[in-house]
Amino acid sequence: MIRASMKVFAAEGLKQHRRMASNKTMVFSQLLWPLLELFTIYFTIRPVADSGEQRWPLAATPGGLLAFLATGALGFAFFFALVQSAWHFSFERQTGTLELLFLSPANRLVLVIANGVGALVQNLWLFLCFAGALVFVPGVLRLAHPAMFVVVFLALLIPAIAWGAFLNSMLIFSRDSAFLFTVFSDPMAFVSGARIPVAFLPGWIAAVGTVLPLTASLVVVRGALLQANTLADLGGSLIQLAVISAVLVALAALLLKLGERRAQRTGQLRLF
Amino acid sequence: MSRSPTRDRYAGNVVWATFVRSWTMNRRAYPWTYFTSTVLAGALTISLAYLAFHAVGGSAVNAEFAQRAGSADYVGYVAVGALAYAFMVRMLLWTAKALITEEREGTIAALAVAPAHRLPYLMGFSLFAVASTGLEVAALSGFALLLGVQLPVPSLLNLALVLLILTIAVFSLSLVVSAVMLYAGEAHITQNTVFLLLGLICGFTFPRSYLPDLLRWLAELVPITAALDVARPLLNGAIDAAELTPRLAVALGVSVIYLIAGFWLLPRAESRAIERSF
Repeated sequence: MIRASMKVFAAEGLKQHRRMASNKTMVFSQLLWPLLELFTIYFTIRPVADSGEQRWPLAATPGGLLAFLATGALGFAFFFALVQSAWHFSFERQTGTLELLFLSPANRLVLVIANGVGALVQNLWLFLCFAGALVFVPGVLRLAHPAMFVVVFLALLIPAIAWGAFLNSMLIFSRDSAFLFTVFSDPMAFVSGARIPVAFLPGWIAAVGTVLPLTASLVVVRGALLQANTLADLGGSLIQLAVISAVLVALAALLLKLGERRAQRTGQLRLF
Repeated sequence: MSRSPTRDRYAGNVVWATFVRSWTMNRRAYPWTYFTSTVLAGALTISLAYLAFHAVGGSAVNAEFAQRAGSADYVGYVAVGALAYAFMVRMLLWTAKALITEEREGTIAALAVAPAHRLPYLMGFSLFAVASTGLEVAALSGFALLLGVQLPVPSLLNLALVLLILTIAVFSLSLVVSAVMLYAGEAHITQNTVFLLLGLICGFTFPRSYLPDLLRWLAELVPITAALDVARPLLNGAIDAAELTPRLAVALGVSVIYLIAGFWLLPRAESRAIERSF
């Protein structure tokens, strides 16, 4: 079982490497776009973040606001990379290879998780750049222990993988992947507190945010990197992340089963 | 060069035919896709500013902003910027992506041998873009009003002027972007980089004076920057010709440079794309 899974990962990795490696600009843009967006939001919010009212102490200084938004951008980039991988997965349907994938004996769940491999490599690179930048900016990083970097990375990585598997599995039902971009780009960043703290959002929007894994991931990232929280301080959020991730993977497995059965019945795997 | 009336009528036909084609196709195939994404993105920007202003800033903005923006109406400033940004993004997408879409759909060779000229063809797309984006921006304005944002209520003449200036600026820019897309053979990276860069430097959601000098100079190379400088006071009802003329001249001047560059680059980019398709 494990050997078979590793084979799927290796094959997916190779496929994505061949597809993406020729396109250097793609990698470049993974860093450039988030940076451009980060500074746009920074300059847009800055006039109110230090308006004299001290409602948001973390963002009272320019460096603090930038660090808050940068952590938000990092978390969002992690999850959005998986949204993009799901989008690429929809190409399998358009090019007719989805049917071939499902004729192979590969485990479906492993397949949709492996689909995010390329995104994960991107994310590791992004994380290293971000961590490097944070270490060099004076007065922003407040870390309880260097090992918290590992906790932060895992708190982003594992929920993001689960998120990717869940999104991929939904695409069994439809070819229309444009809605993924519409729903899980800006709205996700907004609702999960990537741009302003969840505490400032109206109650019903914040409630939607609690379901999204990015929200809890950002609590961990900011707590650990900007507020010197320890593992014990973040226990609640880490458990929340574990539960959300488990639920997402379980949902993905269920959707894949239902979707495949439906596709077999209706002959839709190849249709678009 | 004198042009015969027949030829003018013919160019008009191309504009109209392209408009009708685009309208029909989008009404049938993607009636809500673009509408939703445009309105949603703009609505989120406005909501972010609204929440930041009321929840974070305690309904106050720092004095520096008022001085730089010339007004303390922070949410109104961002909302107008978000409307203009939505307008730019959709206009650019329709017009700049027209030719590369032809290439992707395999019709660019047919277009190349058709007697239609590029200008009326692209103007047809722009006409469609103005019509469909007009609906989207109107919906977005409705959202802002529901939120309680005070939008400026310009006279019809001022509104028409703003539309005209912005349309010229975006149209000229889209010609160059279109050529770049055809050269590069891709649209995704080009369009996003252009949108995000212009969103940062042109002064949509914050006064440009916040930016470092280098970026401010870079912004002057884009026709939309000066066009926005003219659009804001016009929307607020001011027509002080002496004050607006210099920026208007810059907006039109830069636009003309882009138009010339676009018409010089496009045929070259096109022949490259056709070469690639065989």
